[in-house]
Amino acid sequence: MLSIKGQVIERLLQGAFICRTTDEDGWRFLTIPGNRDEVDSYLGQLNRQVATVGTGGEGEVFFCGYRQLGDTERKVIGQQFRDICQALTPLAEWLVLVQEAAAQDAPLTEGAPVRLNALQTVIEDTPAFREQLARISHYRLFGSTSPTVDTQLKLVFKRLCELGYLTRPNPEKQIYLATGKLDYLYEVIRFIDEAEGLSLEAQAEVASQGQLL
Amino acid sequence: MSGNLHQSGVRFLRQLGRHAEPIMKAYLGGSLADEELEPGVQELLVKDGILYRPEPGADLHLRRVVRALLEEALRNDRNRQIDANTASALAAFMTLADHYKEARHQGDYAAADVHLADLREHVYAFGETLRHSVRVLWGRINNEFGYVGTLNAKIRENELAQSQVSELLGGLELVSFEALAETAGDLRELRHLLVTNLQRTLSACTQELSIVQGRLLELLGRFREIRGRTRLLKGWLLHMAQRPDYQAGPHASGRAVPQLFNQAPPILAPAALDIHDSTLEAELLALLAQVRAQTQQDRPAHLLGDAPDLTLHAPETFEVRPSPIRAAVDAYFCQVIDRAQAISALDYHRQEALPWDPESWLYQVIGGYDGLPEAQKRHFELDMIGDPHPLYSGNFIIRDLRLWLA
Repeated sequence: MLSIKGQVIERLLQGAFICRTTDEDGWRFLTIPGNRDEVDSYLGQLNRQVATVGTGGEGEVFFCGYRQLGDTERKVIGQQFRDICQALTPLAEWLVLVQEAAAQDAPLTEGAPVRLNALQTVIEDTPAFREQLARISHYRLFGSTSPTVDTQLKLVFKRLCELGYLTRPNPEKQIYLATGKLDYLYEVIRFIDEAEGLSLEAQAEVASQGQLL
Repeated sequence: MSGNLHQSGVRFLRQLGRHAEPIMKAYLGGSLADEELEPGVQELLVKDGILYRPEPGADLHLRRVVRALLEEALRNDRNRQIDANTASALAAFMTLADHYKEARHQGDYAAADVHLADLREHVYAFGETLRHSVRVLWGRINNEFGYVGTLNAKIRENELAQSQVSELLGGLELVSFEALAETAGDLRELRHLLVTNLQRTLSACTQELSIVQGRLLELLGRFREIRGRTRLLKGWLLHMAQRPDYQAGPHASGRAVPQLFNQAPPILAPAALDIHDSTLEAELLALLAQVRAQTQQDRPAHLLGDAPDLTLHAPETFEVRPSPIRAAVDAYFCQVIDRAQAISALDYHRQEALPWDPESWLYQVIGGYDGLPEAQKRHFELDMIGDPHPLYSGNFIIRDLRLWLA
């Protein structure tokens, strides 16, 4: 049997994001600086290290990053960056859909539950949401060809679980939890926003005020 | 006089109890329409100061004090009222302390006691109000302003709470213990009330208020972050809708890659099993059993009609050739029965000058004995004659056998 340190190292090397929702024990283990250093020195032999994202404390998310970047590593990272940029729009649309369908002010964050059945009822009853879902599910990220809401939604959720944005704690229930990888997504958008000076927040605010007027 | 007060207080409380239904209706609904109350009752409640009419023609409302009493008793979160008026409380302390000092000076101890009791009531009430304010603030923080729906409302509520905390802290700064100590002079009761007691209350409340302030700031930060995230998502979609061909810059290919994008790909593949590892044997066998079970399930079931025809024909004849050594063993057994005494296997071997190797002979005898049906075996006893191995424990070397009748 693996010790908790072994489990954490294994999950990191599998490319997993360790947050409080997906792996509470591992997350707790890594929040202790001494443990993190041990894992770090182990990963160092593979030219890797523990990287974090998110505000410190409760919302921290751990993943595995390179320690030193050579040409090969740069190529890999560049590809990953292009992948995540392509995934941004479908994921953002999905997040907005879930938020609006549930009539909440806050978008999904780590640990927030999503009830698939409730969501499905709302979407089926609202033509605008149905269209939105159809558009989202036809993105290449999800790759659905189905015309029904039921299969589209199930496929989207299945893909999101595969990609690590959602987890399903009880396989018999249609209740999903958002993971810390979503927080990573927000950080990516924020980074692009800041680096390119897009001032997305201001745009959204102007747009929402325009709607009010 | 106090008997009179007592009576009218009890009457007032009974009044509240008797009209609990309309009062709660007014509390929950905010106001009470005229036609919901009988004119007599209405007049009575207005006269007792439980209900009042804010302006002519308006519905009846609950008086502030009654509402506050209910809010406190029901621990209702909607209670946002915080009394931050320290200055007037302090002025009241000073005045009462002066009354007390004057009465003592004139030797009117009865009046002095009344003033002191009054002052004590005021000081305790001041501490209680402060603690209540802190409690109300904590209540609001703990349910994260759950009584308002939208995030923007929560942010506004938070800002209100913060301004209340600042006001409270500002009020507490007005308390000057030097002035209070001077007022108290060397009167023990006054000093105890105005300095010791008040100081204890104040330091506890100030400390707690600063924690409250910290938590409020933290919450505000979180609310803003959540609002920021919503706007970020919407802004991104808006941006992409306006410029569908937008490509984010090559942030990950520069010299300095931001830590955010420095993510190593998964490298761990599942390990292969080692069939030479004997410690894994149990698990491997269990796995093997599953594999077998699956193949059996996979095999398609044959229909009865597909089965080949069953024909009966005479089996080919075959001959069981008797083995000479077995015949010899049988003869040995027969001799034991005939003589009805124990015979050593090797003695019999020598006596009959059997052609086989003595060791094979011994094996064959053991085999013959073990091969007997249980019913016959019971009539024989087979003794192993031999000795344990000199070096290795648990090994027994058989030198000879002796068969006899049981």
